Amino acid sequence: MKTYHLSAWEQEEYVLNRGTDLQNPQLLRHLADCTACRAEVARLEHGVATFRSAAVEWSSECLATRPQQLQSFPLRRLPITAMRWAFAAVVPLALLLLALLPLHLFHLSSPSVTHPVAQISDDALLEQVDEQVSVAVPSSMESLTHLVSTESSSGPAGAAPGSKHIVQTN
Amino acid sequence: MEALEPLIYAGELSPVRDRMIAELEDIDTLCLTYRSRIYRYALLSLRDPDLADSVTQDCFLKAYRARDEFRGDCSIATWLTRIATNLIRDSTRSRKFQFWKTANTTAVEAGAVADRLRSPGISPESALVVREELVKVWDSVAALPGKQRSVFLLRFVEEMELPEIASAMGLHVGTVKSHLHRALAAVRKAMERSKAMERKR
Repeated sequence: MKTYHLSAWEQEEYVLNRGTDLQNPQLLRHLADCTACRAEVARLEHGVATFRSAAVEWSSECLATRPQQLQSFPLRRLPITAMRWAFAAVVPLALLLLALLPLHLFHLSSPSVTHPVAQISDDALLEQVDEQVSVAVPSSMESLTHLVSTESSSGPAGAAPGSKHIVQTN
Repeated sequence: MEALEPLIYAGELSPVRDRMIAELEDIDTLCLTYRSRIYRYALLSLRDPDLADSVTQDCFLKAYRARDEFRGDCSIATWLTRIATNLIRDSTRSRKFQFWKTANTTAVEAGAVADRLRSPGISPESALVVREELVKVWDSVAALPGKQRSVFLLRFVEEMELPEIASAMGLHVGTVKSHLHRALAAVRKAMERSKAMERKR
């Protein structure tokens, strides 16, 4: 004959371990025999189950009314991060381009200014070449023109006839 | 031989972890699979559909960004629940939430939820009893402290195992059990109050 009933703690223990292998065999045996405890546990379980049904139903209703952002959410949210990186990369590039733009414009406009100058300098160079070419003694041989030939006049007395005596003046 | 054990364990874990990370990579499928579950948990914790939606989206965004940090030591559902738990906790700490929590009363909400509950095959009188009991339970769950409520929801709504709850909440299994006992005791008291009111009639 049973002389006790399950305590509130034991009933809760049974409910929270339901569906697991953690159930106390003694509790199971008692519940199999005791109608009163079985009714108490069933009542507690019913209250929890009713709460679950209401919670699931309410959540489903709320979720159904939400806009379907599921597909667009990563596409909507992730590019924000990507755009930050893109912005961070593009801004310095744009600033660099802006800084280089005046140089580029100057480079584009400079050939029209430098072209006649280059042409003039080319002409002057050609004239110089002509002058150099037309000179009787090349510049490389110019130093030799300062050498004095003593073949005919002031040669040393002991020089052999027909030999050349060269005296450097400088 | 002892030194080999972690290697064997890592070798066995790696394919599972790789499969989980592959699942985390596909954010669309991830959302489709777990959205309703995370949203429900957030909604019942916060009682605010807009805030719950925001938390759900943040949860998936955070999970996607931190997918490389996922170690594979628990299921994806548990990992997402852990992220959601942290986000819910942060939301409830915000001043805005505190303001609306004090401004709103849960009685209207509980009644509205109970009205929608379908009770097929029972008499109108019994349906009324079920409704009143549900309102009491609903309010008692809303009045639970944060951790007790989270543990209660994860066990009895999401039907998670105790070790899973412990992992998701960052608690010991014994602590989870303790919270569950207290939460169930509060629910039981609420049901007893409802029963007492019924007897008075």
